[in-house]
Order: sequence, then structure tokens, then C-alpha cells
Amino acid sequence: MSDRQQKKQSQIADLTVKYWKKWDYRWNILSVVVVVAALLENLFVPAQELVDNTVYRYFLVIYGLYLIGIYLYGRFVSFKAHFYAGHFAQLNTIIGILLLGQDLLTEKFARFTLPFFVSFAQILDQIREDHQLLWESTESSLVLWLVSFIIGTLIGVGLGLAMGRYRQANYWAFPFLKVIGIIPAAAWMPLTMILFPTSYSAEVFLIVFSVWFPVAFMTIGGVQGIPTAYFESAHTLGFSEWRIIRKVVIPGAMPSIFIGIYTALGLSFMTLVISEMMGAKVGLGWYINWAKGTGNYTQVYASIAIMALLFSIIFSLLTTVQEKVLRWRDNSTGI
Amino acid sequence: MDLLEVKDVKRQLLDNDGQKIDILENINFSVEPGEFVSIIGPSGCGKTTLLRLISGLDKPEQGSVSVNGEVVKKPDVSRGYVFQHASLYPWETIEGNISSGLKAVYGRNYDHELVNHYIDLMGLQGFEKSFPHQVSGGMAQRAALARSIIMNPEVLLLDEPMGALDAFTRADVQNVIYRVWQKTKTAMILVTHDIDEAVYLSQKIIVMTPRPGKIKDVVINDLPFPRQRDSDAFLKMRQNLQEKLKFGFNTESSK
Repeated sequence: MSDRQQKKQSQIADLTVKYWKKWDYRWNILSVVVVVAALLENLFVPAQELVDNTVYRYFLVIYGLYLIGIYLYGRFVSFKAHFYAGHFAQLNTIIGILLLGQDLLTEKFARFTLPFFVSFAQILDQIREDHQLLWESTESSLVLWLVSFIIGTLIGVGLGLAMGRYRQANYWAFPFLKVIGIIPAAAWMPLTMILFPTSYSAEVFLIVFSVWFPVAFMTIGGVQGIPTAYFESAHTLGFSEWRIIRKVVIPGAMPSIFIGIYTALGLSFMTLVISEMMGAKVGLGWYINWAKGTGNYTQVYASIAIMALLFSIIFSLLTTVQEKVLRWRDNSTGI
Repeated sequence: MDLLEVKDVKRQLLDNDGQKIDILENINFSVEPGEFVSIIGPSGCGKTTLLRLISGLDKPEQGSVSVNGEVVKKPDVSRGYVFQHASLYPWETIEGNISSGLKAVYGRNYDHELVNHYIDLMGLQGFEKSFPHQVSGGMAQRAALARSIIMNPEVLLLDEPMGALDAFTRADVQNVIYRVWQKTKTAMILVTHDIDEAVYLSQKIIVMTPRPGKIKDVVINDLPFPRQRDSDAFLKMRQNLQEKLKFGFNTESSK
């Protein structure tokens, strides 16, 4: 067997572990049928609420075409797409049913009614209608989050590395870390609103505060968990202290650092939204608060939908980065 | 002149009750340049501790270890160390691991050719870009050996490097060590509990007693190289050592 074939074999073996549900035409066809049914239902069942369904219909068409496309691509072109598409066919079927069901329950039969319950079509239409303000809000939330998250992570990693590596640093900093770090960032909110010169800097502080602690804490554990033999071989190979930090401590602690970052991620989103709701004049959190004030709950849903999309994109980007950075890990044993 | 001299070394540790117990006592021996020495003894006799003292990873309570007349105080590139479990950096490729010491000492302009040379010598071609978990235990240990020997040390310390390997791989790594020793003429000190291995590779075999570890005997092994494992002389030497070690086990069981 050639190297190339062998590589493909092992790739397939990995894919069958990751995407373990088998390719089954019945599910593939059913998932497309359900999405088509959702479209037909939206087109032909008479509505009891007045909704502009244009965006929702476009969405369903694109979704259906995407499914057909990925099934054909997986069947005839790419074996990676084959495993991926086959695995998620059942999930896509359920998503289609949920789309169909929510449309019937809200817009069509009015079992759940406005203003507190809205159809997905209405959320999409709200996003279209309000896209300029929502885009600005998303942008400012994203920038605020990104800046704060990076600062918080850098502080956390730096502190954690120092405390994990040097006993003196650990002695002096750990008691403060333990006491201060455990305070929820939101508790500082009334004070920060007064003490910081601008509300923006207060928001940055709060998000940084929610991030640094879990990252620092996990980094310390990560450094301390590095096998002694790695340091000892570094000494016998002539590594300087700086080199040990770069080549042993940081990569050795990296799996733990990522666990810290994942923990911090959820907390940072929470702090972002809360702090924007409290004092900001822009951002997705502010948008929710503003919509609440005017009683337009469709806007609240719209903002939540955008958050769901934005945060899951960030989450999957982080997962991609992690897979790249930790590609040296043996996934079969989880080490 | 001797390359390495171990003089009146004593090492103690605290046991669980806080009592001081002797791990090593009254250890004296020397190693000449290019010599292959094995230290053999039952587990718990302090042979790994002795190797760590020589490397500078550990310090003796009394006595001293000196290399070229200079007392060992801390680990140094001139004393390579191969650990029982390869302890390659899992985040570096095989090539990255082998060149890690060179990069540390010579910076980015290290001798790439030398790295390729050792990759070939250790039979690791085709696995340069693999990570340690993707190669077999024997290959990992050969890479660990390359990582140390590439630094051109005065003495290479081998801490049961074959201990965690199966019989076939073990013989394979033994042959690699033999080849490397023949080629580089680096002095080697091998810690092992495998009599066969000691007889196959070394010119001088230091037999140790169980706790407290003392040198019971120093056996000169002058069988010609390359050695035949099934020759009469080999088997006789093997038996001779077995007798000496039996005494060691008896003292342990009578304690």
C-alpha cells in the first residue's frame, strides 16, 4: 500500500470515529423532504399573523439546496463530505421538523402568539429590517469582546505561567488570585460604572476580570502537571531558562490553557451582555435592553439570534485554533 | 587519566516516617574515555539515583562526582542523559526533538546535516515529521538516543532505556546503542537490570547490592566485539553475573 493510500486509510479511520453515524439514503432524502415540506407549508397554509416571509423562504431554499449539494458532493466527490453529511442527516431532519412545527404553532395556527412568541420567519424579517443598527451593534460588541478577551487571556496566561513555574510568584500571588479571582465580575459593576472614566473602559475591565481568573488558574495547573523528566532532559540538553519557558512550559501547559480559555469564553459572553445592558449605548446587550424598553420582543429575539450565531462562530474558530495548536496530541488516549 | 571519577558518594533520602535512609553508600569507581560501563543490580538498589548524581540532576550528601577533574554541580550538555521513558517532547516532531539540543546551544544556524545523519543512523527516515505518539516505543527511544548523542557528549548516561520495551525492540535498540558507541567512541554508562544486556554491551560491569546500594563487585568483560549472545564465553559471563546477583537478592529477602 502506498503512503498516500495509507494516509487516506488512517484519515477514514479518524473520520468514522468523529462522524460515527452511517450514511443512509433514507435519512438524506427525508431531511431534504422535510425542508421542502417546511417551505410548502409556509407558502400554502394560510397565516393568522401578518408576517413578511420573504427572508425565511430564501433561507429555506438555501438550506434545502445546501443539503442537496452536500449530499451530492459527499456521494460523488469528497469522502470527507460523505462522512460529515451522512452523520448529520438525522440532525438536519429534526431541524427541518422543528422549523415546520414552529411556523405552524406561531404564525399559522397562532397557538403561541405575539408579542412574546414569534416565528423564526419574523425574527429573520426583523433582522433584515433592522440590519443597519444590528450590524453596528454586532460590530461594537465584537470589538469590545475581542479586545477584552485578548487582554484577559494574556494576563491570565502570563500570571499562570509565572505562578506555575516560580515558587516565589506562586507564594505572593496565589492568595490574592484565590480571593479576588473568585468574585463574579458582575459584582463590581456598580463600582466600575462610577470609578472608570468611560463606560467603555468599565466594560473592558469587567470582561477582562471575568477572563483572567479561569485562564490563570488552569495555566498554573497545566504548568505544574508537566512531567519532571521534560525539565530534566531540557537541562541536560543545554536549554536556557527562557528556552525552557518557550519550549517546555508553554507547550506543556497548552492543553490546560485551552480548558481555561473555554471556561473563560462562556463567562466573557455573559459579562459582555450584562455590562452592555447596564451602561452601554451600543452593542447587542444594549439593543436587547432598548428593545425591552419599547416592548418590541421580536427585536430581543433578533439580538439573541445574532448572539447565538456570533458566539458559536467564535466557539468553532477557537476549536479550530485548538486543533491546530494541539495537533501533537494523541487523540486516541486523550493525552 | 580517567574521564569520570565517583568518589565516596553517599546519598540519603527521607522515608515515609521521616527517617533518613541510605540509598547509596561508599560508591567509588571511575570511567575511562570511550569506555562502556554497565551498572547492574536489583530494583531499588539506587542505580538510577547514582546515574542522576553523575548527570548533576541530583546531589550527593557526601563525596563527589568529577568529570575531567571538575566536580559536577549541575546538569550539562557534556553529560547526555537518556531516560527510561523516552521523554521526548510530545509537541515536537521527531526531527524537532532530535535537533532541540542543537537549537538550544547553537541557535537557528545549527548543523542540519548532522540531524539528517542521525535520523538515517537511527533508521528514522520517513518519520521526521511524525509526532512521538505516532511512532513505536523503539523508535521513540532511538530518537531520544539521537537527541542526546548528537550533542557530542563526553559521556552518555543511559537509564534503563530498554526497560519499557518488548524483547524484540529491546534487542534492536541494544544494537543501535552498540553501533553508536562504535562510531562515536563516546563513554557510556548504562543502568540496567538485564544481565544479558550488560554482558552484550559493556566492558565493565558494576554489580550493586540492594538498599543501601553499595558496589559489590566490578566485573571486567573483555569478550571481543561484536559479541555473540549464544557463544560459550558469553553464557559463562552471564552465569558468573547471575551468581553475583543472587547473593544480592538473598540479602534482600533475609531483611
